[in-house]
Amino acid sequence: MGEVIVVTSGKGGVGKTTTSANIGTGLASAGFSVVLVDTDIGLRNLDVVMGLENRIVYDLVDVTSENCRLKQALIKDKRFPNLHLLPAAQTKDKTAVSPEQMKALAEELKKEFDYAIIDCPAGIEQGFRNAIAGADRAVVVCTPEVSSVRDADRIIGLLEAADLKNPKLIINRIRPQMVKRGDMMDIDDILDILAIDLIGVVPEDESIVISTNRGEPCVMDKNSKAGEAYRRITKRIQGEEVPLMNLEVPEGLMDKLKKLIGLR
Amino acid sequence: MTRTEHVALKGTREGLVLYFDPLADFGLLLTELNKLLKDSVQFLQGATVRCFAGDKEYSEDEHDQLTNLLQEHQLELGGWLTTEEVYVPGKVQSQAIEKETRLGDEGMVEGPCLFVERNLRNGNSVQYEGHVVVLGDVNPGAEIIATGNIVVLGSLRGVAHAGATGERKASVSAYHLAPTQLRIADLVTRAPDEDAEERGPEIARIKDDRLIVEAAGLTGFRAKGR
Repeated sequence: MGEVIVVTSGKGGVGKTTTSANIGTGLASAGFSVVLVDTDIGLRNLDVVMGLENRIVYDLVDVTSENCRLKQALIKDKRFPNLHLLPAAQTKDKTAVSPEQMKALAEELKKEFDYAIIDCPAGIEQGFRNAIAGADRAVVVCTPEVSSVRDADRIIGLLEAADLKNPKLIINRIRPQMVKRGDMMDIDDILDILAIDLIGVVPEDESIVISTNRGEPCVMDKNSKAGEAYRRITKRIQGEEVPLMNLEVPEGLMDKLKKLIGLR
Repeated sequence: MTRTEHVALKGTREGLVLYFDPLADFGLLLTELNKLLKDSVQFLQGATVRCFAGDKEYSEDEHDQLTNLLQEHQLELGGWLTTEEVYVPGKVQSQAIEKETRLGDEGMVEGPCLFVERNLRNGNSVQYEGHVVVLGDVNPGAEIIATGNIVVLGSLRGVAHAGATGERKASVSAYHLAPTQLRIADLVTRAPDEDAEERGPEIARIKDDRLIVEAAGLTGFRAKGR
């Protein structure tokens, strides 16, 4: 029996889709059978980020309204045969699916896969309620901005009210240099308000933009810092204890030289 | 307490009480009541009010008009009070009120109390006729509205309104008092813009018509070298 994990945030643009794609790909590369479900009906993105846009024939709404079988709508990933995508419909809206249908779908997916990662739309309306309906666990993504933390707090309250206890937190797009200067909220400031378990901190990284545009999740990129952060998150989702990534600002050339000649 | 010339609305320990001037014309009373309710804040919605008009008795028709008006403001008429049941200045007070005064003299207040045994997050709202104690944090975007006092054993960063029905003796206290906005009875204030960290527990209350914040009396605790 698999597990359904919803990736949510409240606020838009904080990295839910990127996180979903990377966690899903990471779990698949570890050998699990994984399905990514895009519930952002009308504004689907996950297919683009995964580079699978041109393979869509059927979508989520076709499955829930029984236009097709689940197997027909699942798209196999380019890189991993054990990774699948269930895309959202682009021409309908959020009301095309009901929470009950999502629950039934989640049950069906759990039979087939080890993990189902649900990419939740922004907001707290029907799209959100659909996305969390069948979930066993929740991951909340937030950026170190006051507005994002506010929305994450609201979302955590709603998740708890919906009996999704102990959601986990991912802090995305942190910029260690700005935090060091005191210009950005640091991890403790955020945890102070949200008071939930942190499972990952992802640094702001240009490689995300590149990999997103290419349709190749950066979790597979050994040179990407964000990719490294997502690899650790993937391990923590499997229940492994791994330390948070070291986000220390790298030393300057002078510091290195000094260290070399033994001044420090 | 909110009032016009012939009508007064007061929060008591037993709930909201409307006082009518027995000598005033009923039509005038309704007009004043309408204005009063329009001006008062929305937190009254859903509450039950009881009325008092001395020994005067109103006709059934007038009674219906009153019920309708209250309903328009989402209030429910809970019945009429007799002279024995209400506090009227100059009259003999009932035993309960005497007891409260006595306890009040010693710096004690009693009444119903709600314990919130979790964090209140953005979007949560607690409204209660009585005192509210939160065993956790109150985050920005959450609100507490109480007719009595509010105590937060954690950080208060949301909105708190104590003495919401006009009790000016109400207080708001928190281990870390940094509310978005703080209201007591009819006074409103907001936290200072600079963020002074770690001030320790504080109490906000009304003194001389102004809302002031002072450190909670932990002299003994502090003396032990904190």
